[in-house]
Amino acid sequence: MTPGPPAGDPGVHPSRAMRQVDLVAGLAAALAVRGGRRRRPARAVDRSVAVLVDRVRRPCADVVELDLVPAPARQEPASGGLLPGWRPGAHVDVVLPSGRVRQYSLCGDPVERGVYRIAVRRIPGGAGSAEVHALAPGTALTLRGPRNAFPFAAAPSFLFLAGGIGITPIAPMVRAAAATGADWRLVHTGRDRASLPLSDALAALAPHRVVIRPDDAHGGPPPADELLAGLPDGAAVYCCGPPPMIEAVRRAMPAGRRLHSERFSPPPIRDGRPFTVEVAGGPAVPVPADGTALDALRALRPDLAFSCRQGFCGTCHVPLLAGETVDDPAGPGLTALCVGRARGDRVVVDLPRAPSDDDRRG
Amino acid sequence: MNDDDRIALHARDVAFDWSALPPHWIPGEPFASHLLDVLHLLLPEGERWFVRVFSAALPLVRDEALAEDVRGFIGQEAMHASSHQGAQDHLAQTGLDPSAYVQQVEWMFGQVLGERGLDGDAAQEWLVERVALIAAIEHLTAVLGQWILDARALDAAGSDPTMTDLLRWHGAEEVEHRSVAHDLFTHLDGRYLRRIRSLMISGPILVRLWAAGVAHLCRHDPVLRGTRGSRARLRDYLRASRRGLAPGPLLLARATLSYLNPRYHPVHHGSTDAAVAYLATSPAARAAEGR
Repeated sequence: MTPGPPAGDPGVHPSRAMRQVDLVAGLAAALAVRGGRRRRPARAVDRSVAVLVDRVRRPCADVVELDLVPAPARQEPASGGLLPGWRPGAHVDVVLPSGRVRQYSLCGDPVERGVYRIAVRRIPGGAGSAEVHALAPGTALTLRGPRNAFPFAAAPSFLFLAGGIGITPIAPMVRAAAATGADWRLVHTGRDRASLPLSDALAALAPHRVVIRPDDAHGGPPPADELLAGLPDGAAVYCCGPPPMIEAVRRAMPAGRRLHSERFSPPPIRDGRPFTVEVAGGPAVPVPADGTALDALRALRPDLAFSCRQGFCGTCHVPLLAGETVDDPAGPGLTALCVGRARGDRVVVDLPRAPSDDDRRG
Repeated sequence: MNDDDRIALHARDVAFDWSALPPHWIPGEPFASHLLDVLHLLLPEGERWFVRVFSAALPLVRDEALAEDVRGFIGQEAMHASSHQGAQDHLAQTGLDPSAYVQQVEWMFGQVLGERGLDGDAAQEWLVERVALIAAIEHLTAVLGQWILDARALDAAGSDPTMTDLLRWHGAEEVEHRSVAHDLFTHLDGRYLRRIRSLMISGPILVRLWAAGVAHLCRHDPVLRGTRGSRARLRDYLRASRRGLAPGPLLLARATLSYLNPRYHPVHHGSTDAAVAYLATSPAARAAEGR
């Protein structure tokens, strides 16, 4: 669909209104070309944030809590030693010393502008979490963000549902709700009492509003209708935890009520086979078993447009010239670069024209 | 850009079933229904044009956070286009033939607002100009999005729930991503006079297209054939806006004036909280989360 050829049959007979629009557009184009001589080119903006690991705590056996403070280079008058502001639910990309990038929710207090706090559970076999657990105070890290995929919006009352380490984005929300005097309740579930970080401090805010519910004391994880029992009218539910927990709450949630859950990036590719994607009149690029044609082609063409990465929005659907694809929601003759994979060893696709170098000023 | 809460924008995989949609989705209000039905004729092509322009502008962006926002914006606009296309197809199936108007709209977005045969520097300046035009239109769509989120009169009038959800889901995403086009324009140019000029160009074009669209829908509505309702009149609009079923002229005048403020930024207009709250209840957005 995009950014394919523009629609509109050039043979259409324009109405009077359209001829007027054409006149105005022609004038706008002429003004744009004239005024463009004085346009300053876009300036590069670097939004990466250099931080140092400050304090390291271990609230549970397999959870590490890190305080990140601005690196000295940042402590210049411009930033005043402050980190970019954020609101509850926000996360940052952490670029680890190995170059791995992981996303972690900010679980501290947004009012404290000089420190970010993250809490990370060690995942068995997880290289990223193992690296975070090995970080020592004084280590330099680079952050990108913060950005918010779990925005916290005002409501008369809140039900917070946290599963295990899913408490991290919820904790600042609980403190914000408590600070505004809203009616709120928090249920924190998880394996056992000793594996539930952060919620003891939240229970200190209002002990009667916090339920800590370890599975081992109740014979398993709670059913969703138990979690949602007694939901007050107009309450907003904020849920973060393992995907099965979020899915169960989503199914049990009555229509017309507010359910907020964090959206995760698309799941990793399993059972994929490597293949080759060839650009018509261009190079052929190998696609690894756990990668997508989109990522492989972006290494070559960083400007390639895409958006949802799940195949539905159509932004990266391009003409498929040869070969067949599987798992491909794009229409006939097209392929969704973000999810489609070759049925055989190779596909040939047509890409929109690359902007030539003289098109890019500045 | 408002760094305090940069929402990570993402497209939602929504779907709408129009099989139970009555001919006038606000019961007994053909004019007010068609006033918003214009969106189904104008937006599929209009928002595909947004997608083409922003995809072409992406290579000029030298700020990774802004590029992320632009990608999220593109996916959301693409879903708006396909969702309104579904409503347009349904209109055509019910015997209200929109093709003469849609053909003109397609010609405008494809030819008049396409490449215009320019290349090199001129093509790039025309691209930036179209970003500026879209930024001005996005100011208006954010105002309209906020209006529809707040328009309780639509519920009181017994509006069709699926159509109300389409319009409010769309409106909420317009409010959610309202800063992106402005931030992109500011990054690529940002000159005050050009920003104002863009509204002076795109505002009247939008009003002209909208009026032509309502007139077309009323004239070709088989239910209204031979009645006074087949002629759309200004007083019908004023009456609908007085009853809260259409965004009023005062709202639009205030929106225009606010754009003239040299310190204008979309973040000061509209409520992200209202958008986020609606998206958490919207049947279409909730179903998309489960896909």
